[in-house]
Amino acid sequence: MQIQYKPKRGWLATIFQAEIVQGMTLTLKRLFSKPITRQYPDEKPKIRPGFRGQHALVRDPETGDCKCIGCMRCAMACPSRCIRIRSHKDKEPGSRRVIDCYRIDSLRCVYCGYCEEVCPVNAIVLTEVYEYGSYTRPSLYFTKEQLLANWDRFAAELDTPVEEYVNPFWRPRGLSEQDLPAPKRLPVSPEWSGEQQVVGRKWRQHHTPEQS
Amino acid sequence: MFIQIFFGYCALMITLSGILAISLRNPVHCVLMVLVLFFHMAGLYLTLNAEFLAAVQIIVYAGAILVLYLFVLFLVSLREELHLDAFIANPWIGRVIAGGLAAALLYVIPAFTLGEKGVWSVEAIKQVTHTKALGQEMYSTYLLPFEIGGLILLVALIGGLALARRDEGATEANAADEATTPLPAQSDHKEAAQ
Amino acid sequence: MNILLLLVWIIILFAVVMLHVAYATYFERKIIGHMQVRLGPMRVGWHGLLQPIADGVKSFFKEDIIPANADRPTFLAAPIICLVAMMTSLAVLPFAKGWVLADINIGLLFIFAMSSLSSYGVVLAGWASNSKFSFLGGLRSMAQVISYEIAMGLSLVGVMLLSGSLNLSEIVEAQGNSILGMYLIPQCIGFFVFFISMLAETNRVPFDLPEAETELVSGYCTEYSGMRYAIFFMAEYIGMMVMASIGTVCFLGGWNGPFAVPFFPPLWFVLKIYLFMFIFIWIRATLPRYRYDQLMDLGWKLLIPLALANIVLTACLKAMIG
Repeated sequence: MQIQYKPKRGWLATIFQAEIVQGMTLTLKRLFSKPITRQYPDEKPKIRPGFRGQHALVRDPETGDCKCIGCMRCAMACPSRCIRIRSHKDKEPGSRRVIDCYRIDSLRCVYCGYCEEVCPVNAIVLTEVYEYGSYTRPSLYFTKEQLLANWDRFAAELDTPVEEYVNPFWRPRGLSEQDLPAPKRLPVSPEWSGEQQVVGRKWRQHHTPEQS
Repeated sequence: MFIQIFFGYCALMITLSGILAISLRNPVHCVLMVLVLFFHMAGLYLTLNAEFLAAVQIIVYAGAILVLYLFVLFLVSLREELHLDAFIANPWIGRVIAGGLAAALLYVIPAFTLGEKGVWSVEAIKQVTHTKALGQEMYSTYLLPFEIGGLILLVALIGGLALARRDEGATEANAADEATTPLPAQSDHKEAAQ
Repeated sequence: MNILLLLVWIIILFAVVMLHVAYATYFERKIIGHMQVRLGPMRVGWHGLLQPIADGVKSFFKEDIIPANADRPTFLAAPIICLVAMMTSLAVLPFAKGWVLADINIGLLFIFAMSSLSSYGVVLAGWASNSKFSFLGGLRSMAQVISYEIAMGLSLVGVMLLSGSLNLSEIVEAQGNSILGMYLIPQCIGFFVFFISMLAETNRVPFDLPEAETELVSGYCTEYSGMRYAIFFMAEYIGMMVMASIGTVCFLGGWNGPFAVPFFPPLWFVLKIYLFMFIFIWIRATLPRYRYDQLMDLGWKLLIPLALANIVLTACLKAMIG
């Protein structure tokens, strides 16, 4: 491939600086085109499926507590080691582990969503909330109560009923139905799936990206 | 009255900045003092109805030549690179020469006569504007001195070029030392600017 | 009484020019924004109309930082030199017939003198900051201003030859009976050279090497902050307006227009200046920066010979026709 840095031009084009005139007409044309700027706080961006935002613990409607069973898988899977769980088991047989402490250091979190994928009971979720900046570090170091409160806040703003909410990361990609634990065999919306897999992030290949 | 005060102010400032220009330690400050001096000289020309000369004084001296001086000052690290031995070893010889020059200047002062000379009275200059008067005189009566002046400048320019290109043969000999060749090319720009 | 009247005129001119400077920044940001398919300032006031005022208030109250190793008196004086030189050249501009503060015979030369003085502000700012970025910016500006001032002066000699005067009002008057009431067509080479050296003189893109953001942080004003930085900005914009005014006066026929405007005689002059400012901004939105050796090549090898040829041509034509 030959790259020609200095294109040949005639003497007329040299005198009138044809390239500069070309560039100037382009910018002049753009002056009258519609800007694509989004005026952010007034005009919020559309959240795509698979968005990973503020952390929350799903509140179990039956117990009113979190669904977490203290299996520690999320803490193990977390690449930035930002999840800390302390739990104990009651003496009576058959009872679930009791979660004493569930903390997420959201300043260390890299928002990879692995914790959601490995959680066998769909207890943890990265919600679609993204405006939670703060001036103090401790307020971004979420405790269990704060995480539950995060869920309540998110659920209150949801358009659909809470029971129908399904996070695409709760249904991991590339695994067949029978390999999944029962709570993770979730029906997901067809727009998230492709190539016989449930995909959160591959949706762009099947749907032409729309301008917003 | 205003003209007298203005003249006094300009003369004072010229003397003051002239003295400061040779006595300040920082060479850039010295150049700045020379700049102030040039401005007040332009002011003096204005009191003589020579506005063209005043403007040219600022454009050429302040705008071009002094900037080149600044350029040289910036590019040469004066503290390390420029150690000049005294031009004349004995300071007394220098003082005597300076005193002689001052005496000669003072001796010439009585020869000055006030008032206009030749056809160019103040009214005549004001009528045709100073620029036109200067141009007419320069390109008719004083054409030969003007051309000679131009020739001398040309000689100086070519001389500068020759000095800057002096070691071109040497650089051709060791072609590896090519980094020095662009420098002469830049310096004749500066000469041309003058 | 006369002096008082003059003072009132000066204050009015100052206020109007400062307002123009403020809104020139707004205009620039808005136009460049839209040329880049953005919006530009939108938040302060309706469509960001109060943005320049907010900027001014901000820079006025910001801390004035002086580097420890700076050459203090020079550092403090440099922006003032810039601004004073630029503001002084406003005095000789004829905005309309008789609308001029000082109608002097060497108006054009006076503006040249002042613009060469303003380059001192830049150079000294670069030197006094005691920072390598500033210093490089100052050196570049110095070389650039010297080379392009010659081209600019020579390009205007053609206009001086045709009009036979250095007085700006007389230059405008003299253009009345040429084609379209302006020297643009008989002096097209001169205008070309003038236009390019005008961009270089005001340190605008594509010749903004003294303050090349990508290499020199901010060039000669790297170490400046707060009000002093704002003063450099003002000087730059006033410089743009002064250069636009010279272009208007010398090539576009000054206040002459297709028809006379009854209540506001400088209308055509102002409109032509706005056109020039728009072109300044338009070029900034379009062109990349020149390399330094290209800049010098353009100045010395193209513009100065062209300007000299233009002088010879104009003189020959004038001798043959007039």
